[in-house]
Amino acid sequence: MPAKDIDFMDVDSDSDISLPAEETSRSKGKGKGKAVAKPKKTKGKGKANEQAYTWEASYTRSWDTVQEDAGGNLQGAVEDWMARDRRRRLLAPAGAIRRTIIRHLILLLDLSSSMMDRDMRPTRFDLTLQYAREFITEWFDQNPLGQIGVVGMRAGIGERIGEMSGNPQDILRAIADRHKLEPIGEPSLQNAIEMARSTMSHLPTHSSREILIIFGSLTTCDPGNIHDTLDDCVKNRIRISVVALAAEMKICRELCDKTGGQFGVAMNEGHFKDLMFELVPPPAQNTLSRTPGAGAVNPAADLMMMGFPTRLPDTSPPSLCVCHSELKSEGFLCPRCLAKVCDVPTDCDICGLMIVSSPHLARSYHHLFPVKPYEAVTALVDVSDSTSACHACARILPTTQSTSTAAEGISPFGRYRCPDCHNDFCTECDVFVHDVVHCCPGCGK
Amino acid sequence: MDNASHLSVIVDLSPTQWHLSSQSDNTHPLSLKDFLSQLLAFLNMHIASKHENTLAVFGAFPGKSVMLYSSTDPLQHNRTIDANSYPPFRVVDYSVMQHIMEEIDALGEPEDEVPCALVGAVTKALCYINRISHPSTSSNPADNPAVLPDPRMLILSVSPDLSTSYIPIMNSIFSAQKLKVTIDVCKIYGPDTVFLQQAAHLTGGSYIYLERRDALLQYLIMSHLPPPSIRNVLSVPTQDRIDFRAACFCHKDIIDIGFVCSVCLSIFCKPVPVCTTCRTKFPMKTLQRLNASRPPQTLTPVNGSTVANGSAIGTPRSAGTPMAASLR
Repeated sequence: MPAKDIDFMDVDSDSDISLPAEETSRSKGKGKGKAVAKPKKTKGKGKANEQAYTWEASYTRSWDTVQEDAGGNLQGAVEDWMARDRRRRLLAPAGAIRRTIIRHLILLLDLSSSMMDRDMRPTRFDLTLQYAREFITEWFDQNPLGQIGVVGMRAGIGERIGEMSGNPQDILRAIADRHKLEPIGEPSLQNAIEMARSTMSHLPTHSSREILIIFGSLTTCDPGNIHDTLDDCVKNRIRISVVALAAEMKICRELCDKTGGQFGVAMNEGHFKDLMFELVPPPAQNTLSRTPGAGAVNPAADLMMMGFPTRLPDTSPPSLCVCHSELKSEGFLCPRCLAKVCDVPTDCDICGLMIVSSPHLARSYHHLFPVKPYEAVTALVDVSDSTSACHACARILPTTQSTSTAAEGISPFGRYRCPDCHNDFCTECDVFVHDVVHCCPGCGK
Repeated sequence: MDNASHLSVIVDLSPTQWHLSSQSDNTHPLSLKDFLSQLLAFLNMHIASKHENTLAVFGAFPGKSVMLYSSTDPLQHNRTIDANSYPPFRVVDYSVMQHIMEEIDALGEPEDEVPCALVGAVTKALCYINRISHPSTSSNPADNPAVLPDPRMLILSVSPDLSTSYIPIMNSIFSAQKLKVTIDVCKIYGPDTVFLQQAAHLTGGSYIYLERRDALLQYLIMSHLPPPSIRNVLSVPTQDRIDFRAACFCHKDIIDIGFVCSVCLSIFCKPVPVCTTCRTKFPMKTLQRLNASRPPQTLTPVNGSTVANGSAIGTPRSAGTPMAASLR
């Protein structure tokens, strides 16, 4: 996740990443917010063009690529890199974007024999499972009202691994046992996509339908014409994104381009994770432009009926829940049919009403009102006038310019200023405020 | 042996509320002076209970939040050491009192008092906890290298809820969940605050409403001094009454079944053709479908069950107002 992958992200010329403009920068931060500094391959942008794919690289002496500072410390080089990485995220458009808050995602995992390749360590398969777990946790954290289902491609058929569910624990349990998912045979893109498509066909128009394919194979063995499937997906407004582990395939690229998804070929482990985690923040709604003349009714906007359940305290008499049939005291009562469910948000198992609690709605608000990006302080006009410590964490801010070359959007003083309350913050807090808290400590909003 | 713990105390120092609290017509008046002496005793106790324990104190003043004390960068003062007091206690006491004095002296006229910057203090505390829990990335190598396993936060509140701060408070709660910070709340004066009740509930902390204000220190010691790992064996009060149901933006009624705009998540108690917050128009077909499937009991929004346990309003009406500005 941290250091080694970052060189690639700057380079557009030789990589296979193609991203819609508004998604690129905003999405980076999450995966790396609390990056631990690994001094591996920490070098400037200029070197990036020489980076090879994992399978082309022979032997990297990662320790040679790190520049020591005058005192023989690596601290400076590492910090410099981290600061640069963190600032780039803030170059996103600050304006309000309509984002899809209610998301539905099918995670399509390639379980063909090509996943046993060892070009990503330990194997592509193990790495995929590990990243899938992290992805699911992070995804639910940011999309509390979303649902995920898991489908596998194995032995020429699509295989349902986890039902569409809003509970991260259910999904993590579905992919927990790697022996049940042992890769075998050929993958079939068409079969798997058809299965995913049929799972999502009943969903209302205001929610997003997305498929994320992790594809390790270079072949697909399909029963019919996959372009028909593609046309159906376009018709159903399903957004397909592919992360390929081997190389670019024309059909994969086409799936993404026609449905508005993202396509990327993972060059190494870190890049693989980045490509996946770019899909965590809610996508901007792109359906707005499709009704230019009318403008009146937005097909993506709709009124949803939701139930706000009554919470039963721990002290209430135990009763059976409808979801697991277990005897429990705590739980939530569906306001329409009074069935007892264990966890919210969910769809009521009895009457199908969407049950949420108000904190779940509140959790999505920060996507709607992001914190304004802080401005990098490039010159200390009046040293005596400016405050000496970070406004948030009270860390002492340096008053001398750092020796490293200043890049766009990075303060040589490690000092970032809120445009509203004009308080100064350190690099750490800048990232923390924008990635985690979503609330400026100075202005309190 | 249990691990060291970090405690961030957030003190609500609203002059108006403290003045009201010290009025003698209260059943148990508590003045700011008495409060501070009990608070300092509690802070000393936290430091004394384990050598590695760390402490940070934040003050929420009207329109401003200030860090009053932190273990990592103690205030430099050249006062002579008092032979009769333990030096760490003395540093805490002096630092906290000194900062409070400075801030209170700097306060303006009482009539133009703005609400307390509780959100600012909470986010500062979170930033500080974030800083000390990732010492490897901090610029100062002198920071404590040991990663602190259980940070927690104690909010001593006297002010009522501020409905405009709903979204920032909720954001702070979620980031506290992410950092695994337990938030304890001690409500010293004034009505119950729903936001802080939710904060304590969502982070696994305890919310305590002081019934006898003069026994503040005892409440603090019994329920807020032990770290969360020990609380399992103590019987710390829990709250059963929190209600996470939402209030609609149109009439502020607490509702069981609501209609939510998919764009801005505004809540309405009946199907509306146009969202009042973001002015999105909804399809006619949906309205007809929802009107047809609408359960009969929502026709009378205030029903018996709502009154019986509707103690808390999850989403205040004003939470919606900033949206109108940013989303057209």
